[in-house]
Amino acid sequence: MSHTVDVPQSIKETLRTFRFKRRNAGSAALIVKINKQKLIMEEVEEFEEISLEDLAEELPENSPRYVVLSYELNHSDGRKSFPLVLINWAPTSSEIGMMTLHASALFDFQAAADVSKVIEVRDGAEGLTKTYLDTQLGVR
Amino acid sequence: MATPEEYQIASVPITSHTFNADRSQLAVSLNSNDAQIMSRQGQEWKVTETLSEHDKLITAIDWAPNSNRIVTASQDRNAYVWQQTTDPHTGRTVWKPTLVLLRINRAATHVKWSPLEDKFAVGSGARAIAICSFDPENDWWVSRLLKKPIRSTVLSVDWHPNNVLLAAGSADMKARVFSAYIKDVDKRPAATVWGEKLPFNTICGEYTSPAGGWVHAVGFSPSGNVLAFASHDSSVSIVYPGGPTIINVRMASLPYVSLIWTAEDSLVAAGHDCQPIVFSGSEAGWQVIGSLDDTTAPKSSGGASRFGASGVGRLNSAAFNTFRNADSRGQSSPVSGQTSTGTELMTVHQNTITNVRPYQSQGGSVTKVSTSGVDGKLVIWNVSNVSGGGGLVPRLSGMNIK
Repeated sequence: MSHTVDVPQSIKETLRTFRFKRRNAGSAALIVKINKQKLIMEEVEEFEEISLEDLAEELPENSPRYVVLSYELNHSDGRKSFPLVLINWAPTSSEIGMMTLHASALFDFQAAADVSKVIEVRDGAEGLTKTYLDTQLGVR
Repeated sequence: MATPEEYQIASVPITSHTFNADRSQLAVSLNSNDAQIMSRQGQEWKVTETLSEHDKLITAIDWAPNSNRIVTASQDRNAYVWQQTTDPHTGRTVWKPTLVLLRINRAATHVKWSPLEDKFAVGSGARAIAICSFDPENDWWVSRLLKKPIRSTVLSVDWHPNNVLLAAGSADMKARVFSAYIKDVDKRPAATVWGEKLPFNTICGEYTSPAGGWVHAVGFSPSGNVLAFASHDSSVSIVYPGGPTIINVRMASLPYVSLIWTAEDSLVAAGHDCQPIVFSGSEAGWQVIGSLDDTTAPKSSGGASRFGASGVGRLNSAAFNTFRNADSRGQSSPVSGQTSTGTELMTVHQNTITNVRPYQSQGGSVTKVSTSGVDGKLVIWNVSNVSGGGGLVPRLSGMNIK
């Protein structure tokens, strides 16, 4: 399979440490972007504990990003779990070239991060809400 | 008394006109897919460049005076931002276009740069207004759409001086004030009479035209505290949001299509009556002051311009004049070759005025305005040269406080 964007070793390390960090409360997020000139993935920022509204504020309105989120999920029976989800942040007002690169590299990034669940958020800040994520993850 | 400067730019309707900062150049769209840049040479305007990139009719042009960029919007659902650069091969300065994807699925109708020239608003037939700003990260123009609660084509837009609020007149008979605040481009605006803390697409005010007509033109006063709109029911409404007080001036003349404020207490409106009318007033009431056009006598200048040196070359040939004279043969022809027949209007403009723009300002108020219309003429008027009565039907109605 052809690889358009490379996933450097440093990103893979960051992903691994992010994945195995112990979490007790709150949602943690790791934002990764594609560097169009060098065609590699780059880490933008990592947040230890962040609310979804703040995360939506941090993400750009007109550029696609990958967000690896350790989401605090409250099940209906009282359990708390922290599943790892990949948010494909791709607002429709982004530049077309970036969107295509982003879409083509999604598969590789997902494999590198080793995350099973991918959630698409295409309409920007309005689309990233708690209710939306909960329904996507199968919790009422 | 300064008479208006009159230029016959073309023999086709002028869809839109806009001047550059020092008024030495003019960008016009002559009912075609191309925009022409004209420079003043002596007493005439000559075409110096043609901007062709659009696939369909250009409906509106705006020239940003400080950053020297032109934005053109067209029926092909796109807008282009033109910038002057030096061509590497020939060394001349050319206008280079940048496409802006508006993401609308109908024609664009109107475009205006914001006061700080970092954004522009495009009204469209897609029941939406596209607010476009430059995204430096991706090096391209990004558009966000203002949709709710517009129910029909947006006919005109105007920016508030604070660079965030936008007024829009639409074919659903309403004039609205929106907040077009873009994160990362605008700083949080100070509170105004229209409201405070305004996220994108907040409605700060919605006003209906009194007898239900399309709102053709909207305009904020120089301070931004008053809104005026002209609608197809031949009325001009002035809104003071503090009260809210809405003052309607119902005219017996034909509807106005374009208006601009000349000072905090006066505005100029023009439209199907072919002459610019001056209104003046305050929160206590508004009246018509008069027309900028002297309509008491047939225009000798109008006659001269038809036979004179200026004008488009094709219309000046001897053969054309023979046919024109043949047309008037048999009718009572008055002195010195002037054909004041029943077909020529008494106003300078011979057809609807579609665009009124400020031409010259002094001390915060506009002293000269420029108008262009369907007759292909561009006329520059002195705002203080008002003649009352004349061609105006002097019937007005007064205040209507809501």
